[in-house]
Amino acid sequence: MKNITVAVAGNPNSGKSTLINAIAGTNLQVGNWPGVTVEKKTALLKLENIQVNLVDLPGTYSLSPYTQEEVIARDFLVKEKPDLIIDVIDSTNLERNLYLTVQLLELDIPVVIALNIYDEAQKKGIIIDIAKLEELLGVKVIPTVATKREGIKDLLDAVKTVAVEPEKFKVKKLNYGEDIEEAIKIVEEELKIKKADLLSQYPSRWLSLKLLEGDKLVLKELNLNEDESFLKKAKHHFIEAHGDDMESLLADLRYGIANGATRDVILKDDNKRIDITEKIDRIVLNRYLGIPIFLLAMWLVFKIAFDFSKPFSDYLDSLISGPLTKWTAYALNSFGSAEWLISLVTDGVIAGVGAVLVFIPVIAVMMFIITLLEGSGYMARVAFVMDRLMHTIGLHGKSFIPMLLGFGCNVPSIYATRILETERDRKLTALLVPLMSCGARLPVYAIFIGAFFAENAPTVLWSLYLLGIVMAIVLGFILKKTLYTGFAPVFIMELPPYRMPMFRDLLVHTWQKLKHFVIKAGTYIFAVSIIMWFLLNTPYGVEKENSALGKLGKTISPVFEPLGFGTWEASSSLVAGLIAKEVVVTTMAQIYVTEEAEQKEEEKGFFEDLRDSFLSFILAIKDAFGNLISGFGIKSLALEEEEEKTPLKSKLQGIFDPLSAYTFLVFVLLYWPCVVVGIAMKQEFGSWKLYGQALLIHSILAWLVAFVIYQGGRLLGF
Amino acid sequence: MGISDIILGLLILSGAFYILYRSIWRRRGHCGLCDSRCRCIAKFKN
Repeated sequence: MKNITVAVAGNPNSGKSTLINAIAGTNLQVGNWPGVTVEKKTALLKLENIQVNLVDLPGTYSLSPYTQEEVIARDFLVKEKPDLIIDVIDSTNLERNLYLTVQLLELDIPVVIALNIYDEAQKKGIIIDIAKLEELLGVKVIPTVATKREGIKDLLDAVKTVAVEPEKFKVKKLNYGEDIEEAIKIVEEELKIKKADLLSQYPSRWLSLKLLEGDKLVLKELNLNEDESFLKKAKHHFIEAHGDDMESLLADLRYGIANGATRDVILKDDNKRIDITEKIDRIVLNRYLGIPIFLLAMWLVFKIAFDFSKPFSDYLDSLISGPLTKWTAYALNSFGSAEWLISLVTDGVIAGVGAVLVFIPVIAVMMFIITLLEGSGYMARVAFVMDRLMHTIGLHGKSFIPMLLGFGCNVPSIYATRILETERDRKLTALLVPLMSCGARLPVYAIFIGAFFAENAPTVLWSLYLLGIVMAIVLGFILKKTLYTGFAPVFIMELPPYRMPMFRDLLVHTWQKLKHFVIKAGTYIFAVSIIMWFLLNTPYGVEKENSALGKLGKTISPVFEPLGFGTWEASSSLVAGLIAKEVVVTTMAQIYVTEEAEQKEEEKGFFEDLRDSFLSFILAIKDAFGNLISGFGIKSLALEEEEEKTPLKSKLQGIFDPLSAYTFLVFVLLYWPCVVVGIAMKQEFGSWKLYGQALLIHSILAWLVAFVIYQGGRLLGF
Repeated sequence: MGISDIILGLLILSGAFYILYRSIWRRRGHCGLCDSRCRCIAKFKN
């Protein structure tokens, strides 16, 4: 079987990942904003007897060595020498995309252009003369619409041809003008004599151009410096005529080619009319309306998420704490299991893992709506709208993209800081990301909001997310003045057109976001539940308060006394939350629920329970859709649930009051990031120092804000 | 609680610690950053 490597390159947001998903049937992360792919990803594809290794490169505007994405893409193309480059071009923005194409053609690797988003170009009245473009650039050009799988067959045929008859894809050398060609020749000849071995490793034309540009990374790698006599000789003419800036000169030249080609191949550009994207943007990006609209959109997200998911959460709760616990205990008893083992399984594992699983519906709906907003292009607008605010903390709107990703999970957000240009920006953003409320915190919010703020559930949840953003801005401002001084460059960001994401994509990417919560529940939440049960029952048979966990909680509880939750139960749950934020709820469920659950035994048979569970599920579906419809009227589902309180909620109501409950939620929002975020920081920044800083800074911040809220609330008489 | 209970308890506890070590440290947690073969891309940098 023949193996070939095909690199998929292109500008950010040109649809590379979508194209790969369409070609290989994979599920690479896509989103309607630039910079979704920050690392190269691979997908395998079998074409008859050809094994194709598709490599999705991060989106770049050029192959200069200024951003991590550019370096990753360039290193792969130059060092791994793929057999073919599929250059994905956004047809609605031909000129800018061709700038990269011109650079790709310097690499002496066969190129096929996928004129993607071709349907939108046509809708905009842009007609591209494909035959002429092929003739000008000397490459095959295939119009594609990746989201509809149009043009994919032609693209695959081109891949097959490269594998079987590579000579058909000879790369055309674009003429850069007599002077430049002469200079390239001088450098190439010198390299042939002095560094012949290099010419077998690197494309000679590309290498010569990079040396002429004075590319620092290339010079360093070749152990050369800019003052080499042959380079001086080659550049002599230009230095005299244009000064020392060969890089700008070559950039102008490439832009000239891109511009000329665009003018030659675009037959009609009726792009004057205002399209729907512009109409929406006039409102959404309005100087005064932009942020209020974002806040309102957030509130709606929470409202829908809560209204729709609550019946499912209640259903899961009654299923887990009722029949599942009852019948597991029954089965274990039948096998003659020891009392402690039955307690470990029911009070430890089922109560602990169950406490998190109950909230999977809330997380699922939230992730679905966030995915919808990402895919539609609105999230890119949010980054733009937030630019001015972000500048106050020395960052720009681009930093808000990883922060927005943090609403799903903070860990990929840490990796997403790679889209930022400077180390300072990346570190500062990484320090602020944990203040974005991740999905793992939702179970904690949901249980407390259900117990104390059922009437205003969406508003309370909204206030927590908003507080996270506000605190990120405040902390960013403080850090800008102290540890991370500096200023952000001007933010230039391409706003993608609004698009209606495909329903299949929405489901796939919602599942991608959701699955790690499910995997977490089955792995480390499961493991932590067992460990917590042992800590809570050591020595065996004593009161929980006097267990190992109880003693640990009591030791640190004075720290939380001024915040209104200085109990050993709350303290030990917060400490356990260092592993993962869901563990706060897991631990509380284990501490509080045991004795309450035993009181609710009902004398029902197994099949009766099974039938009831099925009927309850049908009822939950009906309620969920009913809530969705009535949620925007007067009725809200949460109000009706008074009669059925879960044991944990009832117990919490006896221990916390609304003020201390809200303070507790604020503390959970702001306190230390979980260990997995720490591992991600260590991986990205090479040391534990940043995580150490985050632990310290966030703990202090959480304590201070919680203190102000609790003591302030008491002073105001709450 | 007999010696067999203690041994079983210790075995379960060791298993839990192993799962924790494996899922958090060795697999770097779960964050949705998977490539098409469900490998964490963070572990396969260049």
